Amino acid sequence: MGISRRAFLKSSAVVGGGLAIGFNLSGCAKAQYPHYSAADLQPNAFLQVTPSGEVILQLHKSEMGQGVYTGMATMAAEELNMAPALITVQQAEFHPDFRDPEFYVMITGGSSSIKLNYVVVREAAATVAALLKAAAAQHLSLPESALNLKDGKAVHAGGEVGFASLIEIARSLPSPKQVTLKSPQDFQYIGRYNKRLDALAKVTGKATFGLDVQYPNALTAVLLRCPQFGGKVQSFDASLALTKSGVKSVIEVDGAVAVLADTYWQARQAAAAVKLVWGKSPLTGISSDSLRAERHQLLVSEEGNNVEEKGESSAAVGERFEAVYDVPYLAHATMEPMNALAVVTAQGVEVWTGNQSPDIALSEIADATGFKREQIRIHNQMLGGGFGRRIMPDYLVEAARVAQLSGSPVKLVWSREDDMRADFYRPNATVAMAATIANNKVSSLQAKVVAPSILGGFVQYVTNTILPQWLPNGLHKQIGGLAADTDPSASEGLAHSDYEFPYMRTDYVMQKTSIPIGYWRSVGHSQNAFFMESFIDELANRTAQDPIAFRLAHLAKDSRRRKVLELAAAKADWGNPPAGQFQGVAVHESFSTVVAEIVNVSVADGKIKVHKVVCVVECGMAINPDIVTMQMESGIVFGLTAALKGEITVVDGAVQQSNFHDYEMLRMNESPEIEVYRIDTAAAPTGVGEPGVPPLAPALANAVFAATGQRLRQLPLRLA
Amino acid sequence: MADLAFTLNGQQQNLTVDEGTPLLWVLREHLAMTGTKFGCGMGLCGACTVHMDGSPIRSCSYPAEYVNGRAITTIEGLAASDDDLHPVQQAWLEMNVPQCGYCQSGQIMSAVALLANNSAPTDADIDSAMAGNICRCGTYPRIRKAIHRAAELQGAVISAATAGVQHYDPTAVVLNINHISDGEIV
Repeated sequence: MGISRRAFLKSSAVVGGGLAIGFNLSGCAKAQYPHYSAADLQPNAFLQVTPSGEVILQLHKSEMGQGVYTGMATMAAEELNMAPALITVQQAEFHPDFRDPEFYVMITGGSSSIKLNYVVVREAAATVAALLKAAAAQHLSLPESALNLKDGKAVHAGGEVGFASLIEIARSLPSPKQVTLKSPQDFQYIGRYNKRLDALAKVTGKATFGLDVQYPNALTAVLLRCPQFGGKVQSFDASLALTKSGVKSVIEVDGAVAVLADTYWQARQAAAAVKLVWGKSPLTGISSDSLRAERHQLLVSEEGNNVEEKGESSAAVGERFEAVYDVPYLAHATMEPMNALAVVTAQGVEVWTGNQSPDIALSEIADATGFKREQIRIHNQMLGGGFGRRIMPDYLVEAARVAQLSGSPVKLVWSREDDMRADFYRPNATVAMAATIANNKVSSLQAKVVAPSILGGFVQYVTNTILPQWLPNGLHKQIGGLAADTDPSASEGLAHSDYEFPYMRTDYVMQKTSIPIGYWRSVGHSQNAFFMESFIDELANRTAQDPIAFRLAHLAKDSRRRKVLELAAAKADWGNPPAGQFQGVAVHESFSTVVAEIVNVSVADGKIKVHKVVCVVECGMAINPDIVTMQMESGIVFGLTAALKGEITVVDGAVQQSNFHDYEMLRMNESPEIEVYRIDTAAAPTGVGEPGVPPLAPALANAVFAATGQRLRQLPLRLA
Repeated sequence: MADLAFTLNGQQQNLTVDEGTPLLWVLREHLAMTGTKFGCGMGLCGACTVHMDGSPIRSCSYPAEYVNGRAITTIEGLAASDDDLHPVQQAWLEMNVPQCGYCQSGQIMSAVALLANNSAPTDADIDSAMAGNICRCGTYPRIRKAIHRAAELQGAVISAATAGVQHYDPTAVVLNINHISDGEIV
């Protein structure tokens, strides 16, 4: 199944709309869907029609603000010829058919949901539509050509018939061997539908996030973890805590200490009364400063792995110019702190939470509790922000273990402080950017990046999920570790750029020591775009060329970045900022989407003020144009927060920041005017959740250089 | 222990909780009103914003016993039904404000309080009234537009009402509750 789906997606990337495609999702119908209903028309895992005629879409991606709830429903609605709002969206439980063809697990990440499901979900809906149309033809004794589907009914010249009347017949029909997808010129909703289907619930307080789930007699648990990463509890004294109001128990759970009480406030009050002795952490003595010093040393002492080399090194002629850049660890700081509600019985485990990768969590919970994957169910909820944080399964595993060891249904609630200090952080990183310049022409561009590997820690989860269960315990993770020698995300955005210089080279040196790191909105691009697009600006300056003209002169002739950059320059009135303001530009491709941003800033009293950001995005075809715009706005604010404020520091193996007073977020009064323009193309859609982030930091740094002459090579940006 | 007596969205509430329990957790855990969110626990992010007698407070750091005799309004109390939304909620829909949505209850409560005191806020007014509400998804530019739009909607509603037309009064929730005096409840 996995391989045929992958092969299918590869071939479908070049198949235009309106062509018949030979793929039949009903081949998987034998698998028991978690949402199986004997009475429904259910030819595939994605869509079903109930006997009352209700059309239900299983949302197999996590809605964390990026709009996938609406996007998926819109794509299904298109083939069913019904208003998207008429489709009932349910959050899917795990099923193999929901596994991602790129990551091999059921996961929401990499700005890939729309890109990878543009054909899959429409085909699933088209299959349902074909069955309903055939059923209607039979029911009405009409040829199929005499009827159409419209808003949940089959419509013909003489009247209409609801889906409810067609289910019995449709269920008896064989699934079509192939279906024909609509041609883009016939789209009614794709590219036009501009609402959000989840908005009403979110403005009335009715949307259910993980933290909102209620379970009868569930206790609330808070977990006390060693402040130093990797440290475990040596001993604890809960005698005082146990006297506190509402406290039920205080137990050790896998090196941490859980306090269980009737309510969160009671658990939190009692937790403060637990006396703890922590064991030694493997990261004792490690600090972000020591890690940075180590990276600077590795830059000199290690050759690293060559990621890309283009051209002959002998072409690198002229004067060598080198600049070293640094970025810090960053926290995700989702507005909803981590939480999960778990119930463990002799039969298995059930978890209610918001998570980006229930597939991985199933395997991890299975390992931690001793149950089989098949005995575990995860009920996904709305995510109060994800940004990559909720790919990790840690908080689900914790909740399951607390429930298992305490024997009670448990809602585990992290405080903001827990969330800030037990994250999987955006890696800190250092790069040496180098160029050679002869006769005012850049003859080479080289990047050597030193950073810890996210994949090195993460691949074990993936292998643990996709390798057969019968492998001896622990072997999954060993195999995963072996495969983790390289990490494309560390150099993404530096290597394989569209810039052309006679000699180009990218090397990666893996830093082995780190606090836990993870996928943070736009991953390697979040720092590498800052390195690349700042340095490109430096080269423009050193060769006395306009930053946009320099980029256009060195971008490949067929680069998608050219048009995006040109439109941004036009819309931002490049070169003519308002009096007292200065402009900076960056253009970057990530997750197959190209974004250019031009930032207008002023600097006064040693402070950077961002007035306006003009953004141009090219993401192929937009499914929901306004959600594309929203995601660019979101990425810009996210990127601006990091560029101006974001820094997690570590001292003696522990994170120093704790809450929003010392890990600050951009606020309304600091939010610039943002203009977003799209370049629509006929190409299949690409992702928009992340690509708005990477260009912001370099565009801002370049604007600050224009304003002050200071080239800031570290984030967050701090004026001298 | 603390005995509590206050109105919540117009309904009288009487219950006993541990002394010092923040209002947020009384709402979420004792009364199962989960529209008000937990974000930071220190009054830094605004996700927990509710109204006390029409004024915004951060319920995560507001001891519940301090609301005795007061009228509390939460996001659930803004509109009688989904078909009859508060102008601020309506504007939020028109401008496609919510993304993840987690902070939006607090954002909306802050915006409603702003508009109750200032029917035509400037951008500077909005900045100062809304700076206490963090949105990690970055919906700020849309919130700003939506507040201006809500001011228009609210103005339209009020002028329709003064023309003698029976219409939803967006300030009714707040005003009605204000009429309940401390003495009547305690």
